[in-house]
Amino acid sequence: MDNPFDMHDKESASGAFLLPTDGEILEGFLCPICKRDLRTPERLTVHVEHEHSEEQDLLKSLKEIFSIARQGILSKGKKKPSQPGGTDGSEPSAPRLGSESGVAIGSAGTANNPLLQPGCNQTIGCSCEHMAYFKAVRSPRLERYAAETNKLIIRLDKLLDGLPTEPDQKKRHEQSKVPWIDGKLVKLCPTCAKSFGITRRQHHCRVCGSVMCESCSRYLTLEEAGRLVNPTAISPASAVPLQAQSDAQPVNETSHFRVCEHCMRLLLIRMEMQDWKRERPLVRQYYETLRRERTDIEPHIGMYRRILDSLYDGDVIYRLSDASTLREKIGRSAEKLDNVSKSLQTLRSAVGSREDALKKAIRLGCISYIKEQMLSIPPLPVEEEIKKVQLRKRQETERRLERERQLALEAFERLELQSGGGSVDSSLHDRQNGSSSSSSTASTAEMTNGRYGAAVSTMDNWTGTQTGPTSNATSDPLIDQINIVKGYIRQARAALRFEEVATLERNLSELTQEFYYRQRSEPVDTKPIPEAQ
Amino acid sequence: MNVIRAIQMYIDKMISDAGPGMKLLMMDRETISIVSMAFAQSEMLQKEVFLFERLDSVRSNEKLKYLKCIVFVRPTKDNIFLLQQELQSPKFGSYYIYFSNIIPRTDIKILAESDEGESVQDFKEIYADYLPVNPNLFSLHIPTCLQALNWNPEALERSTQGLVSVLLSFKFRPAIRYRSGSTAAQTLAKKVHETINKETALFSFRPPEDGAAPPLLLILDRRDDPITPLLNQWTYQAMVHELLTINKQRVDLSGVSGVPKDLKEVVLSTEQDEFYANNLYANFGEIATTIKVLMDEFQRKANDQRKIESIADMKNFVETYPQFRKMSGTVTKHLVLISELSVQVGQQQLFEVSELEQEIACRADHSTQLQRVKRLVSEGKISAANALRLVLLYAMRYERHANCDTSGLLKLLQDRGGRSYIAPRMLEYISTVARQELFNTVKITDAVKLTRNLIKELKGVENVYAQHECVLKGTLEEVIKGRPLDAQYPIMGNEVPFRRPPAEVIVFIVGGATYEEALAVHRYNQEGYRIVLGGTTIHNSESFLEEVLAATVGVPFKHSRSLQQFHQAPAGTA
Repeated sequence: MDNPFDMHDKESASGAFLLPTDGEILEGFLCPICKRDLRTPERLTVHVEHEHSEEQDLLKSLKEIFSIARQGILSKGKKKPSQPGGTDGSEPSAPRLGSESGVAIGSAGTANNPLLQPGCNQTIGCSCEHMAYFKAVRSPRLERYAAETNKLIIRLDKLLDGLPTEPDQKKRHEQSKVPWIDGKLVKLCPTCAKSFGITRRQHHCRVCGSVMCESCSRYLTLEEAGRLVNPTAISPASAVPLQAQSDAQPVNETSHFRVCEHCMRLLLIRMEMQDWKRERPLVRQYYETLRRERTDIEPHIGMYRRILDSLYDGDVIYRLSDASTLREKIGRSAEKLDNVSKSLQTLRSAVGSREDALKKAIRLGCISYIKEQMLSIPPLPVEEEIKKVQLRKRQETERRLERERQLALEAFERLELQSGGGSVDSSLHDRQNGSSSSSSTASTAEMTNGRYGAAVSTMDNWTGTQTGPTSNATSDPLIDQINIVKGYIRQARAALRFEEVATLERNLSELTQEFYYRQRSEPVDTKPIPEAQ
Repeated sequence: MNVIRAIQMYIDKMISDAGPGMKLLMMDRETISIVSMAFAQSEMLQKEVFLFERLDSVRSNEKLKYLKCIVFVRPTKDNIFLLQQELQSPKFGSYYIYFSNIIPRTDIKILAESDEGESVQDFKEIYADYLPVNPNLFSLHIPTCLQALNWNPEALERSTQGLVSVLLSFKFRPAIRYRSGSTAAQTLAKKVHETINKETALFSFRPPEDGAAPPLLLILDRRDDPITPLLNQWTYQAMVHELLTINKQRVDLSGVSGVPKDLKEVVLSTEQDEFYANNLYANFGEIATTIKVLMDEFQRKANDQRKIESIADMKNFVETYPQFRKMSGTVTKHLVLISELSVQVGQQQLFEVSELEQEIACRADHSTQLQRVKRLVSEGKISAANALRLVLLYAMRYERHANCDTSGLLKLLQDRGGRSYIAPRMLEYISTVARQELFNTVKITDAVKLTRNLIKELKGVENVYAQHECVLKGTLEEVIKGRPLDAQYPIMGNEVPFRRPPAEVIVFIVGGATYEEALAVHRYNQEGYRIVLGGTTIHNSESFLEEVLAATVGVPFKHSRSLQQFHQAPAGTA
């Protein structure tokens, strides 16, 4: 295998962690022949298969590496069944009785209660959709109304354009813009069906030109008309309840348009829609803040519980400081929720009104959310306790590894004995190797325990002394990968993205394990060959 | 098959379909009970439903355009009209309309034409049109459903809709059987059958695989088993209903002395109250023990309070606060209930009454029983209501007995101010089937029953207060065992009856179900069967007697001619 790291490439310099041995280093899934970064093992394999099909042995070795890595991951999954998330049952019960017993009672109760057990496979019942038909009926009507309303608004625009202030002139102007119906043809008021006479005079709707009596007339202020014609121009502050004005009989004809009931209704609907679009009441703004805060913090609460579980489990993925920063954040968020909902409640509104009730309900909902979701989170664990758990776990792992190694050694020795004498050397060598592996697990534990920065050089030194040819060690893409992952972890932790921290940590420990596995196996694999020669 | 779950899923869907944002839920008289039986208000708050209003009550005209309005109402003419008005002058930004049952197309059209502001965003039928009482029990809350022993048309309409919605919420297209001889059951069965055949699109579920029997809808008649609602009960839920009355999960304790202020009305919900869910069917004695355990636990936690020494302890305590408070609330509530029950048991001498009730219901021993009833009724230690029930049981049991002395007992009852006029009405209420089958336990045909009774007597009765078994239990036994049903429970329509027993059964009792029957269903469900019970309402003895009186208004006295002197209610009553 030729060394792919002899060549320099400018593209690859981004974010590389330098090994102490030599200059520039490439990272990622690099093709050993053309030095391209393929990013994933699959793509790399495919690439080699297609581009460099002549170098069969290379391809083979590549595939081997990946299969080894995969095995490592798989066996790791088996060895550690208690990864965060699946730890509910097996956690040590002692330290958490206080907060958890209530929950435990709850879940046990539900599990035991035969009444509550169905529903797991019960699906939601039938429903029948009518919106399509509803729309089919609604849309032609809406379209017709929209067209009519638009016509009215165009007329309003014409009326407003150069409107004289003198009543007589105004009337003439109005009549010139909208053709009025001939009053002689209409004997009865079309709205109230009463006959016209001296006491009940005829009036004309200024926008559609139809006839009605005085009591059936409605009035649209010029201001409102202006707003309808040009909705963006007028500030919402000038919005006055329309209904109140049109009910009161205006004395002064000049500031209003007389309209019929039908037109008034159409214009009212349009005006309401315009208002609604413009309106952004404070209640809503506050509520949106609340909602955002809640959706932001919700994943953190879940994460906090998971971190605690993992800590109590003795895992080393998270640190206690992680939990405490997260807890602080949740506390701050609870405070903010409380404050916002409080200030929402102090907004002015009439007592007993719908808005008042709404604000109270929001505040109530907020309080119960804070109480039940945010304040009920379990307290931080004590540091010594965690350390104890971790220590115990580490010791357990070490014991197990020791045992496994012992077994393997015994098996190997048996094999050696069977194959005949003269293998003292190799068995001795093997023992040496074994001891180094135990130290390696110790350092793995240490490393994953949190001392990242310094770990690389010691690792490198160690490998350097073990295996003679340095080129092999320094060019190991695994080390690069390990360094990259560590950098990511640091960044993710700073950003409180613990989901990612967990995945990266898992990734990292897989990588380190694979790394040591390979370090250990190489001498065994390579050395017998020169001996045979 | 869990009716509460079915309703909850519908409501959840309804709310989540409206999307995020502040919401208002608009309901009517009936749907508000449906929603409240499925969810607590605090749960609704967490679903962003902050306001609740009734469509059919006076409402303010205040407009809150930033609210989403979820309308969940029954498809009645009144509701359509009110909704039409609401849409013509919308108070809220958008409307999500859900009808709790099948709505005629013309009504959809009316509403669509009223929606001039284009504010309706969704329009659906969801079939949550019944009250979920227990996971296995639903009610339609129709207090009296018969008039002159036949359907009250409104009640029939409502029952049909209710049953159809139950079927749709479980996605069942069932085989329908009804009690032969009961016109009420038959009419309802026919109505439901017609609706299923009319709404083929809705009921087009995949038939069960590999020829399994379809679900069974079994419609029964209360008139066939008038005994069960008259007996005193000793299981928790049934007892609370009998002595304190549960009305839509709520128990009114305002009449009880020494009740804390916040417990004037308590909610008994299997969903929100775990203790209740676990002890629904426990009997009186067991409950006392359980509550003791709960108390001890509470005490233990309360003692923790005193042991608080450091700030850390205090924090710990506060952090467990929600559970703590929840638990303390539960304990006090059930303590109050249980103590009130035991007061009532003592005052009314219920042990003695109940033992005699059970005796009359289960064993024929005329002279002894007559003596005991006479003594209890005349002594005046027991309440008039209990005396009435004893007399009613006696009257039904020994109606044809040569030495039947119902009129003598009624006289005694009348003397102490009891409502003796109910007895003749009751005798008219019970059906022919009940008259023939209910008490003829000592027939030769019932050899099995006879020997079983014998064995029982030899072994000694386990619990004298729970000897009686409701008719429903036997019926379900036959259904489950796959015995031939066609003679007693003919199938509606011309479907070919299945030999195999059905996997799911919905039982509906015209004239109301009882909690004792719910217990029977619960026991079967524990064995792994899937049965849901429903009734026009859930009866205790008092509400049942009212139903009997309402059902027999204007019915000629056929069977109780000999009791003529008691036919008329004294002036001023009934």
